[in-house]
Amino acid sequence: MQQLIFGLANGSIYALMALAIGMVSSTTGIVNFAHASVVMMGAMVSWWMMVICGLSYLPALFVAIAVSIVLNIVMYETCVKKLGDLQNNVGWIITLFGASIILDNIARMMFGTEPQAFPYLFGGKMVTVFGANIMLHELMMITIAVVIGVVYQTIIKRTRFGRAVRAVAFRPSTSELMGIKSEKIILSCFAMAGAVAAVGGALIAPITFASYTMTYSIGLKGFAAAVLGGFGNTKGAFIGGFILGLIEAFICIFVPAGIKDSISFVIMIIVIIFLPEGIMSAKFFNKNLSAAEKV
Amino acid sequence: MLKVENLTIAYGKTEVVHHVSFDVKKGSVVTIAGANGAGKSTILNTIVGLHRSKEGRILYKGEDITRTAPDKLVSKGIRLVPEGRQIFAEHTVEENMLLGAYVEKDAKKIRDRMDQMYDRFPRIKERRRQIAGTLSGGEQQMLAIARALMTAPDLLILDEPSLGLAPIIVKDVFKLLTEIKQTGVTILLVEQMVDNALSISDYAYVLETGKIVFSGTRDEVKNSDDIVKAYLGNV
Ligand SMILES: Nc1ncnc2c1ncn2[C@@H]1O[C@H](COP(=O)(O)OP(=O)(O)O)[C@@H](O)[C@H]1O
Ligand SMILES: [Mg+2]
Repeated sequence: MQQLIFGLANGSIYALMALAIGMVSSTTGIVNFAHASVVMMGAMVSWWMMVICGLSYLPALFVAIAVSIVLNIVMYETCVKKLGDLQNNVGWIITLFGASIILDNIARMMFGTEPQAFPYLFGGKMVTVFGANIMLHELMMITIAVVIGVVYQTIIKRTRFGRAVRAVAFRPSTSELMGIKSEKIILSCFAMAGAVAAVGGALIAPITFASYTMTYSIGLKGFAAAVLGGFGNTKGAFIGGFILGLIEAFICIFVPAGIKDSISFVIMIIVIIFLPEGIMSAKFFNKNLSAAEKV
Repeated sequence: MLKVENLTIAYGKTEVVHHVSFDVKKGSVVTIAGANGAGKSTILNTIVGLHRSKEGRILYKGEDITRTAPDKLVSKGIRLVPEGRQIFAEHTVEENMLLGAYVEKDAKKIRDRMDQMYDRFPRIKERRRQIAGTLSGGEQQMLAIARALMTAPDLLILDEPSLGLAPIIVKDVFKLLTEIKQTGVTILLVEQMVDNALSISDYAYVLETGKIVFSGTRDEVKNSDDIVKAYLGNV
C-alpha cells in the first residue's frame, strides 16, 4: 500500500510534466527539452523563498510559479519564436537544450551544488489508510496533479480559449483567419506549462531533495511519461506518469536499486519501438475513439 | 469596397505576383480566373493579412489595410473562406461555428447569429454535434462558408469554392453565394474554371503567372474567345 501510494505520488508528478510538455507540443509541434530545467527551477525557487526569505509553502510556491511562467515565456521569445517556421527549422532542438544547460548552471551558481532538504506539506504528517501509514504530502501530490489534469482538460474541451488552443494545434493559419492570434495562444500554453512545472517541482522536491540535478533525476522522467502516454494527450500523460511511477515503486523488488532509473528508459524505448504514438494508441484504448478525443 | 494597387508579392526572393491591381465595388461579385499556380491564393492570403506584400497597397472602404493583422481585418468585416475549406476537422460542427465568431465577445450576438445560420443551413444544424471531419465535402464547404458568415462580414472572399466538389454540389454552392450577394455582401472569388463563377459575377479578371492579363464585365469575358477557351469549360 505504501509502495502503491508512493508510486502513484511520483507518477502524478511525472504526469504533470508530461502534461506540460504536451501543452507546448500540441500547439507548436516542438518538444520543450528545457522543461525539466524549469521543473527544477520551480523547486529551487520555492526552496529559496521558504528557507532564505522565510515564506511559507504556498506563497513560496506562487513566487516559483511566477518565475517559471516568466522563464517559459522568455524561452519562447528567445529560443523558439526567433526561429520562424518550426516545421522546417529544427533549430529549437539545440536552442532549448542550450537553455536547459544555462538554467542548470544558473541554478548551480545561485543555489549551490548541495542537495537541500525541502519541507513537506503539512509538516510531513502521516495518516493511516487501510492500516498503512501514508504521508499526507503524497496524497496531496496525487490530488493536486489530478485536479490540475481535470481542470486543464475541462478548459481545453469546454471553453473559448480551449477551442482556440485546439484550433491552433490543428491549423495555425486557418485559426488566424478566425481572428485567433495564434501567437498569443502559443504563449499562453508556454505560460501554463511553466506554472505546472513549478507545481510539480515543488511537490516532488521533499522526496528527491531540491538540487540542480533534479533536471536529470526527475525531469527526464517527464519525457518518458510523455512518450509512454503519447504527446499532447492529457489522459495519456496521466496513464504514462502513473505507469512509470508504479513500475519504479515496485521494480526494486526485482532489480537492484542502482539500475532503477534506467528501467524507465528501457520501457520508454520498448514503447517507442512498438507503439510510437504512445500506449494510448494501442488498439485496446481505441475501440471507437475518434481522433478528436485526443488533446 | 476593396481596391488593390500595384501589389507585388514574393516568397523569399521569388516574386510570384507582379504589380497586380484590381477593384471590387460595393455589392458586386468579382471573379479572378487563373490556372493552378497563377498566384490566386497568394493574393487572397495577402489581402487577409496572412502574408506580407513586397510592394503595393490594399485599400478597404478607403482605409489602407496593407499591413493589418488578420484578426483586425476580421473585425473590420473581411472574411476569407480558404482553399480546400480548411475546417477544423477534429472540432464539432458547432465548435467550428463558434470559432468563426471568435472575435465576437457578446454571447447573445453569437447565439443569434448561430440561429440565423442554422436556419439558412439546416444540414449543418442537423449535424452540429458531429465531428466536422465526418461531413461530406459539400457539407464541409457549406460549413466553411457558414463559419465565415458568423461575423456578418461585408466582404466575403472565397478561394476556389468549387474545388474537389461534384458538379451538382458546386451548383448549390453558387446558388448560396447568389443568396449571400442578395443580402448585400460583396464577394470576391477566385477559380480555375469560371463557368459557375461567371454566371453570378459582375466583373472578372484573368491572372496569368502573377499578372493581370485581362479584365472586363461578364459579357466582355464571354466575347473573348481566348478567355473562353482557357477558363470556361462549357458555356
Ligand atoms: N508558401 C510558399 N512558399 C513558396 N512558394 C509558394 C508558396 N505558396 C505558393 N508558392 C508559389 O507561388 C506561386 C503561386 O501560388 P498560389 O498563390 O498558391 O497559386 P494559385 O492559388 O493560383 O494556384 C506558385 O508558383 C507556388 O509554387
Ligand atoms: Mg490556390
